[in-house]
Amino acid sequence: MRDRPRRFGNPWLQLSLSVVCVLVSEFLLKRGATEVAEPDTAISWTGINGLASPLVWWAILLIIASFISWLYVLRYIPLTVAYPLSRIVDVLVPLGCWIFLGELITTLRWCGIALVIIGLALVAKPVAQIEQRL
Amino acid sequence: MRILAFFFIVFSLLSFVAAQLILKRAMELSATLGFRNSRYVSLAAIGIALMTVSFFLTLGLLQRFDLSYLYPFQGLSVIFITLTAAVVLKEKLSLRLIVGAVLISTGIVLVSMS
Repeated sequence: MRDRPRRFGNPWLQLSLSVVCVLVSEFLLKRGATEVAEPDTAISWTGINGLASPLVWWAILLIIASFISWLYVLRYIPLTVAYPLSRIVDVLVPLGCWIFLGELITTLRWCGIALVIIGLALVAKPVAQIEQRL
Repeated sequence: MRILAFFFIVFSLLSFVAAQLILKRAMELSATLGFRNSRYVSLAAIGIALMTVSFFLTLGLLQRFDLSYLYPFQGLSVIFITLTAAVVLKEKLSLRLIVGAVLISTGIVLVSMS
């Protein structure tokens, strides 16, 4: 791994920022889409009517922000490590739905969440060791 | 209908994977050659275009199928990207990374199945 900036320019910080932005945007999209839902109309199939909700616009801003941090991450971290780690969002979304929206998590889903966490730990561990040596 | 749907699912997955690889290559170039390099600009443009194609294909699929049916395919992107990054971008791949990627993919499939 080549020399890279510290603090805000730290690619690991940017990777977390990118994940947080995606996570928050998912919830904003869900809120916004429910807010303006008009399932009876044909146009709503395109999702364009979602733009009527300010929450959807905030979500779009966050998605753009997450894309920019992601590009920055790609500059420093190998894809074989960065991409699997970014999928932590697939665990955080159902957990967030469980905590904040009161949605149900089935046993099978808990097993899936556990598998993803073990996989993430496997991918992250050698990276943590490299970081320590630096 | 099923074959057509399958074609679109595979196509959106492939364009997403290709976009990630191309963007990765573009960002590596930018680290050595800077942002004004024409190769960087064209690679980044292709990457963003492929990302857009994949986004709209997914949006179209979402209108016809349940998210729980489509999401597992997105989970597979972890395995695809890990393997193609090793082959195409010559990134180092260890057994640990492969097992990690397989577990993450399997986990995502399980989460979306229930």
